[in-house]
Amino acid sequence: MSVNLYWLQCGGCNGDTWSLFNAESPDIAEFFDLLDIELLWHPAISDKSLEEQEKLNECLLSGDQRLDILCVEGSVIRGPGGTGIYDEAYGKPKKDLVAALAKRAKYIIAAGTCASFGGVGAYGETEATGLQFLKWEKGGFLGKDFKSESGYPVINLPGCPCHCDVITGTLSLLVSEMPLELGEYNTPLEWYGMMVHQGCTRDEYHEYRVEEKRFGEKGCMFFHLGCHGPLVKGPCNKILWNRRSSKTRVGVPCFGCTRPDFPQHYPFFETRNIEGIPIELPDGVGRAYYLAYKGMAAAAAPARLKKRKTGI
Amino acid sequence: MDKKIHILPLNRIEGDLKIHLEIGDGVVSDVRSSGIMYRGFENIMTGRGPLDGLVITPRICGLCSTAHLKAAAKALDMICNVTVSDNAKRIRNITLIMEKLQSDIRHAFFLFMPEFTSPCYKGSPLFEEAVRRYEPLKGETVIQAIRETKKLLEIIAILGGQWPHSSFMVPGGTASVPSANHITQCRHLLRDFRKWYENRVLGCRIDRWLEVRSKSDMEVWFDECKAHQESDLGFYIRFAKEASLEKTGKGHGNFISFGSLDMPGSTDTLNMRNRIFPKSSASSKMFLPSGFYTSGRNGVPGRIRRFQQEKITEDMRYSWFNEDECAKHPFDGMTVPYASGSEGKKYSWVKAPRYNGLPAETGPLAEMIIAQHPLFTDILNSDGPNVFVRELARLVKAAVMIPVSELWLSETACSREDFFRNYGKIEEGEGYGLIEAARGALGHWVKIKRAKIEKYQIITPTTWNASPRDTDGIRGPWEEAIIGTEIRDIDNPVEVGHIIRSYDPCLVCAVHTICV
Repeated sequence: MSVNLYWLQCGGCNGDTWSLFNAESPDIAEFFDLLDIELLWHPAISDKSLEEQEKLNECLLSGDQRLDILCVEGSVIRGPGGTGIYDEAYGKPKKDLVAALAKRAKYIIAAGTCASFGGVGAYGETEATGLQFLKWEKGGFLGKDFKSESGYPVINLPGCPCHCDVITGTLSLLVSEMPLELGEYNTPLEWYGMMVHQGCTRDEYHEYRVEEKRFGEKGCMFFHLGCHGPLVKGPCNKILWNRRSSKTRVGVPCFGCTRPDFPQHYPFFETRNIEGIPIELPDGVGRAYYLAYKGMAAAAAPARLKKRKTGI
Repeated sequence: MDKKIHILPLNRIEGDLKIHLEIGDGVVSDVRSSGIMYRGFENIMTGRGPLDGLVITPRICGLCSTAHLKAAAKALDMICNVTVSDNAKRIRNITLIMEKLQSDIRHAFFLFMPEFTSPCYKGSPLFEEAVRRYEPLKGETVIQAIRETKKLLEIIAILGGQWPHSSFMVPGGTASVPSANHITQCRHLLRDFRKWYENRVLGCRIDRWLEVRSKSDMEVWFDECKAHQESDLGFYIRFAKEASLEKTGKGHGNFISFGSLDMPGSTDTLNMRNRIFPKSSASSKMFLPSGFYTSGRNGVPGRIRRFQQEKITEDMRYSWFNEDECAKHPFDGMTVPYASGSEGKKYSWVKAPRYNGLPAETGPLAEMIIAQHPLFTDILNSDGPNVFVRELARLVKAAVMIPVSELWLSETACSREDFFRNYGKIEEGEGYGLIEAARGALGHWVKIKRAKIEKYQIITPTTWNASPRDTDGIRGPWEEAIIGTEIRDIDNPVEVGHIIRSYDPCLVCAVHTICV
């Protein structure tokens, strides 16, 4: 039996939609057919008159039409003063539509960091939040105990934007009723069980602490340029972007866009440090061990790295 | 008989838009265009690190993040007083062009042309062909465009890490240092795209299309062979004629362009530019010139004037913001959202930018008019601005931009120059970055104080096009373009859809313009 999908765009840039258009084998035109997904509504793709849209929403809310997967992109805007009128749909606050559809959906996916944790908007005056988290804190728009009809909480797929393979991969598993193991912050372990650092072509520079101090140098960007690769989970260097590359591979630091606090409150492109040692150390590493290890590593660095002769 | 109607929301655009129409005797007598989402973007910039605009502003728009990145980087170049190397200029230009081309193609085939499959065209002899080409996710051209535009984005990923939302442009150049091998990969990808664009979209080689320099040249081109008539461009010309697209969507007739693409010091693209735009007033510093075109009136022809950014102001009389006593330049304006919402005369989260007090249209057509492209100048002079020519400018822009990009790629591959120049520490200063994004003029205005962002103001292309009325009651560009439109079916005013879509609206960009 075909599974249906309703895609809602809330407070965001629609970047997760355009990231989805990057999908490859199957591409986005083949994907829905291949998985037998009926696309009930996507604001950038669907062609439905206003009447048809309102009829569809009515049927979904009354239960006459079942709703299998609700995919939300962008944060839920609640401002000003909890009214939600900063974001309107069909003449009403869009947040009301999110709440009503959430009650009906078998699975709910938060595509991107804004829908997962609030993202950029959660720092502004729009009172934006993620569906089930506000930054690090559980709760968000739907509440910490919320579960969709399937028993899953909101499945968070953070990333700014979320990588297309993560969206199509999650949809594929749900459609075929395969188990989806979630880690902390309700993100699937398949893609968020590893650090962004894993697979970075600069990892050898990191091991031996050969540092990049200015843009365009060869070296590791963790020590001076604020790279979050060893701090934050995500698959950027495993599945690559647009089939080709990643930010860290071309010399742009990871900004930690999958982490609940993105965009961080301290400046980008610099590493906060105490006496040259980063304040935030690689996930789970003790400070004393780290100091000893990095001191020895720098001393052990081979000449080909110190001379920055290796390709990246 | 008078009847009021609402359309809400307009789908298949970027973001949320509501159009309020008043139609009397089958003709639009009044219109109000409302951006209905407020994102409060720039206010979170205050107090942040000086480079944070490079990370945060691309996140304004999922379809034009590279454009915001370039505007942010240029503002910082100015603040740091650093000269960008020729290689970095080329990489910045090429990636911006790739983003613009994917946006133009996707707009045309995913967002604009699907309207030709509207039920109201069922009686048309071209209806079935329109469905075959442009049915969402199923049409032949749509499926091909999904595949082919990804190649352009791969080029951005090779040069900048990923698309959307990378931050590889930094003050002083680019953080990325592509090798000759990377550049070669980009050239192959672009050649693939060019082949498709020539075969499917134009139906001829780019060189042949570039010979079209007037309306009559275009008729000759169209009649020349079947391949021309059956390409997507040929189909567009056929359909537009039948739907009389050249007769709707005139607007005020003023155009603004911030000028396109910083010229490297030494480049062969200068000759190419002078061939394609023989009358262009552009200097050797920019590929296409900035300028402001004021509409001709009462027999007086239109005129291109020199562009001065000081003449830009933003008016908020009809926008949901607390008003300043008068419209102000982006460096000076203060904006606070006006929370009490939808009663009264205010009706949009979009502000009303004006140049020298006048509303202006921006986008690919504006670029072509201000660069005095012979074909577009000819059409403008004989028919005035309209839906047909506005979308045409977008559809054929690649014919200019692909050859330029190819040349810049090969120039980069041959150069040993650096991609980044050190700029020192950023403590104080103000600067602006003005560029042409896919939808037209985009500006970032930035003030830095004590190594922190003090003020960040952005005016996006759609803010110009979608603007509401100003203090003088003058309508925004697409509001004006809708006035007087004949509506055949009051329950499905597809004519209004064509007009608005011909401006390629991006409301996610337009609705956050708040300065702090």
